[in-house]
Amino acid sequence: MVLKKSRISIFIDMTPMVDVTFLLLTFFMLTTQFRPPQEAEVLLPFSHSAIKLPESDVMTISITKDNKFYIGFDSQILREKVFGAENKFRAGIEADKNTLGNLMIQARMYNPRLRTVIRGDKAAPYGPVEDVMNILQKVNITRFSLVTELEKSM
Amino acid sequence: MAGASVAEPKSSAKKGKKQQKKKRIPVRIDMTPMVDVVMLLITFFMLTTVFNTPQTMEINIPPGESRVEVAETSLLTLRVVADGTIYWNLGIETPQIVPFNELRKLLVERLQANPKLITLVKVERESTYETMVNIMDELNLANITRFSLAPFQQFDRDIINRLQPK
Repeated sequence: MVLKKSRISIFIDMTPMVDVTFLLLTFFMLTTQFRPPQEAEVLLPFSHSAIKLPESDVMTISITKDNKFYIGFDSQILREKVFGAENKFRAGIEADKNTLGNLMIQARMYNPRLRTVIRGDKAAPYGPVEDVMNILQKVNITRFSLVTELEKSM
Repeated sequence: MAGASVAEPKSSAKKGKKQQKKKRIPVRIDMTPMVDVVMLLITFFMLTTVFNTPQTMEINIPPGESRVEVAETSLLTLRVVADGTIYWNLGIETPQIVPFNELRKLLVERLQANPKLITLVKVERESTYETMVNIMDELNLANITRFSLAPFQQFDRDIINRLQPK
């Protein structure tokens, strides 16, 4: 008897809560950006730079710690054009010193607004990075960015 | 037209009151499962959201071959060897070791002494990328936004080697 009585009385109107939850849900759904898949694991170095990584039109050159280069783009259309249809779902493809320049020129022909970023691994030697910078200079990309993680100290 | 639009809500409100009262009671759906699902989705999106997008350091390099003549006394050279040791020298002075945590102080001091200071960074190929990023970061923090990166050559190696025996 007691139970039945108490049960009926707990009937809360959930509509406002549902409203709020839906609002939050739409907010998170719209703001979520899934971490773009990476072809290679890269541990970024830290810096105090506060410039954010651009979100679109990005050409990423990854340098892994075992001296491999990967070149990737954020748009699938561009990947399909540059890498061929079979590689369009891959985040990036491996390149070497000789092919990197051509791939960059090709990509910039399809999308001249492309911004170049270098994702170098912390432990990567400086040599390959220097090579990449030389290639960039050769193909006339004089503006590029180094991707880093924000360092909190100091 | 305006009159019609004003009049209408009144009549509908009168009508609605009667209808609403009747209707409201039976429409009581149990929303708990829906709320459960929505909460689940919220937690999922909250946890997968990445708020800290990576930062970038912008670099502009001069196009092609460009040469700038620099007075020797206003040239600060930083040489970084494979093990991460930093040597600095002004002009043609003999390079000295500077610990990384004192680098910023040194840079600020040098810049104050000579505002026209031009910094040249030479990083040995065997040294790590992190070292180079750290040094560039220090340069940026010391307000040196223009600096040159030059290849570390055999000639630089010789200079460093000559220092070692002492």
